[in-house]
Amino acid sequence: MDTQAVKRTGRWKSRIASELVGILGAGAVISAEDELIAYESDGLTGYRVKPLFVVLPSTAEEVSQVVGLCNREKIPFVPRGAGTGLSGGALPSREGIVISLSRMNRILEVDIPNRVVVVEPGVVNISVTDAVSAEGFYYAPDPSSQIVCTIGGNVAENSGGVHCLKYGVTTNHVLGVEMVLPDGAVVMLGGPSPESLGYDLLSLVVGSEGLLGIVTKVFLRIIKKPQMVKTLLASFERIEDAGASVSAIISSGVIPAGMEIMDNLSINAVETTVGAGYPRDAGAILLVELDGPGAEVTAQVPAVSRILRENGAIEIKLAADENERQLFWKGRKSAFAAMGKISPGYYVQDGVIPRSSLARVLGEIGELGRRYGLRVANVFHAGDGNLHPLVLYDPEVEGESEKAEELSGEILRVCVDVGGSITGEHGVGFDKKRFLSLMFSEQEIDTMNLVRCAFDEEGLCNPGKVFPTPRTCVEPGMGKHGSHNHAPKGMGELF
Amino acid sequence: MSHIAELSRMVSNFHVPGSGGTDSSVPEFGFSPEVILYPETVEEISRVLGFASQKGIRVFPFAGGTKLSLGSPVRAAGAALSLKRLDKLLFHEPSDMVSTVQCGMEVREFQNAVGRENQLFPVDPPGLSSGATVGGLVSTNLCGPMSTRYGTCRELVLGVRAVRADGEIINLGGKVVKNVAGYDIPKLMTGSLGTLCVLVEATFRLYPRQPFSRTLVLGFDDHVSCSRAARAILAADVVPTCFEILDERLSSEFSVAPGAKRSILLRFDSFEEAVVEQIKQVREITSGKPASFVEMGDEDSRELWDSAREFPFSSAASFSSKLTLPVTASIEILSDIESDPALSGVTVRSLARPARGVALVSVSGEGEEAVIAAGFLENLADSLGGRIMFSDVRCELREKVKAWGDFGDALFLMKNIKRRFDPGNILPGEKIFDAD
Repeated sequence: MDTQAVKRTGRWKSRIASELVGILGAGAVISAEDELIAYESDGLTGYRVKPLFVVLPSTAEEVSQVVGLCNREKIPFVPRGAGTGLSGGALPSREGIVISLSRMNRILEVDIPNRVVVVEPGVVNISVTDAVSAEGFYYAPDPSSQIVCTIGGNVAENSGGVHCLKYGVTTNHVLGVEMVLPDGAVVMLGGPSPESLGYDLLSLVVGSEGLLGIVTKVFLRIIKKPQMVKTLLASFERIEDAGASVSAIISSGVIPAGMEIMDNLSINAVETTVGAGYPRDAGAILLVELDGPGAEVTAQVPAVSRILRENGAIEIKLAADENERQLFWKGRKSAFAAMGKISPGYYVQDGVIPRSSLARVLGEIGELGRRYGLRVANVFHAGDGNLHPLVLYDPEVEGESEKAEELSGEILRVCVDVGGSITGEHGVGFDKKRFLSLMFSEQEIDTMNLVRCAFDEEGLCNPGKVFPTPRTCVEPGMGKHGSHNHAPKGMGELF
Repeated sequence: MSHIAELSRMVSNFHVPGSGGTDSSVPEFGFSPEVILYPETVEEISRVLGFASQKGIRVFPFAGGTKLSLGSPVRAAGAALSLKRLDKLLFHEPSDMVSTVQCGMEVREFQNAVGRENQLFPVDPPGLSSGATVGGLVSTNLCGPMSTRYGTCRELVLGVRAVRADGEIINLGGKVVKNVAGYDIPKLMTGSLGTLCVLVEATFRLYPRQPFSRTLVLGFDDHVSCSRAARAILAADVVPTCFEILDERLSSEFSVAPGAKRSILLRFDSFEEAVVEQIKQVREITSGKPASFVEMGDEDSRELWDSAREFPFSSAASFSSKLTLPVTASIEILSDIESDPALSGVTVRSLARPARGVALVSVSGEGEEAVIAAGFLENLADSLGGRIMFSDVRCELREKVKAWGDFGDALFLMKNIKRRFDPGNILPGEKIFDAD
């Protein structure tokens, strides 16, 4: 279904509209042209497609019925959370329906003894922590957009954040999901138990970018808030020394909750806008957050400080109190927005490299910037090698946005060359599908398609994303590996 | 030339069972393969599977052979495919804390190799000291006491190299700790018991070794005070590496707290001052409850942790089982099991790993009584919102005690996946889909 959508008649369209209203009620179906505009794109606004309809279901049953209708009529459908994604994962399909989960925003159950919170997909990330904070718990994955992005979107993208190195990403915190499969069936995968048995289908669904179905309920693992949190701010003359410190800290046996590096350009952008107290003349700063049992953190602080000094830190500040700690982080968290103040346009990239390649990659990014005549600011989750280079450009200058996009793509090539990945947390979506082949062979991408076909034979669920070229689901035994029909007698009944 | 003979010529070495010549490492398969293949390269495996899928020859992959009893029995396979000769450490970048290893390498050897750089591959599966391999570890997703802190190898696997049933060689995932490009197929492979692909290499994230370690054993006179203590420890500001609850029989057999009704085992690994402080906290929050409180160093506790790790595979029982449950249910289940009349005719040993919501239960008893016990455990898991897996089921019980409980809604999707990956069922799918 990745091909050109069929042209539908006006009469057909009004019939579908009235069926949708029948399922959901008039207040939950958007079809007016001007109201559809808000749904034309997600956080990556460069791509826009107007959908046929947007629907706002309130229950799994309604989602199932809408999906059932889409199947009958062969209408592509795209699930959508808060629309903050940065890879075009929620970009509508032409002549398709957008299924917004924003009305399914209830926290269904808070079970402190079992460390589980059950939510609907439209619940905002931070609300989960808010719901359990008084009891001393929190939900660990914390993408920068956590005050607006939703759990459903987090599950689709396998979102990360600044504390992934120690606590993992979304896939490490989702215990189960209820989902509507692309044929409309409602199934439960996993549940309230930390471990499960059988094929790990849940791991496929988390990070599936909305291609395997629509999640309608999520069982999240919550964890205890650490007894103590300490944040160090170290400044360096050279960004390479900040990078070397990161490896040295981990090798010493300490796994910080978070380690973030910002280069000089980012530091100055942030200081101009929010004034986080970063040293403007530093080549780079490294934020190190340590958390855990009090005695452990207390022992780690001097050990980490020593390593920072040994690796060339010119100044080390320990946040004196919670206010100062918040200020250190405010600078980091507002880095993207700050770029908007010093440059009329910027392009956010998301790539991953092995930590050991940091110096080489930063050198190559600098070189690329010079070659393209564009400034590149570097902000990254240093502990896990997840880079977010920000390519600055002026959209008013003819051809500059294309140059920025091209440069941004070149950075991904560098990441893959050193053994990294084209995306650490933003997803492939629509934007990066052309880069998937940098990492994977045709056979490997075919293998991913086997998974998709196991869930969605018709290919109606969020088509045109992730896969670089359209792939269909040929029945096993009929495709190019067509000689599988020799299954020994008596084995066929397994299926 | 027969198909099997042709298959044999595709690999560096092979062995025809019963043809003379001995190979001591051949395990009990439970079926009789016509040939055992010992490929030395991934390309050989690719050729074998490509040919086997064309001719409809079933191929059973194995490595250490220590846990062939997991999953349902394989009915028949023309060839057994050993990964034992692919046993190299391919990559270890200490500053990235990432390592790639071939699946035939023993887990212990892998741990020793990364240990030389003061790093830790923090999975301690049963079979660790008897030849468990990396491939077997990923395929079974077995784990041990350290899963309390580090999770199972599902949380550690970053990428895999595998050979599909049709012979295609694929690399999925990657070599970096954060990566969302494409579906997480490495995790799908984890625990799939070799039914989807033949795993040949795996890439893992590693952890730093901790400088100081201490073990605590708390003995209790009754289960109520043990449960209270367990909940208090879970809620405290302590981060144990291992946290297990033993029933009365295991408390005595592991000679940790003889005579105790229950015991709690804890291990802390960190800086010395942090370990000391956490032990102090455990003493405070459990004060007055344990009848005994013993602190042990690394050496003294080794045997104890070996016993906990090997359970329940170590016990010569009628069957063993693993229950995956919500956290609190895994604490209380020891009492549910102990007090139920359905289990009065059999000998039960049980261990809970509360932070993981796991209970391991072994049952020894005669015929019908063991079957009743199995049924009871299955219903219990179900009623608590959990799942169950039986293993090491004694031959005569296999008709009545199936390896898997109910997979629920997931079953048809699991079958879809299997059908897509291996439409000819070349890799014995009955390990998981034990259709009658």
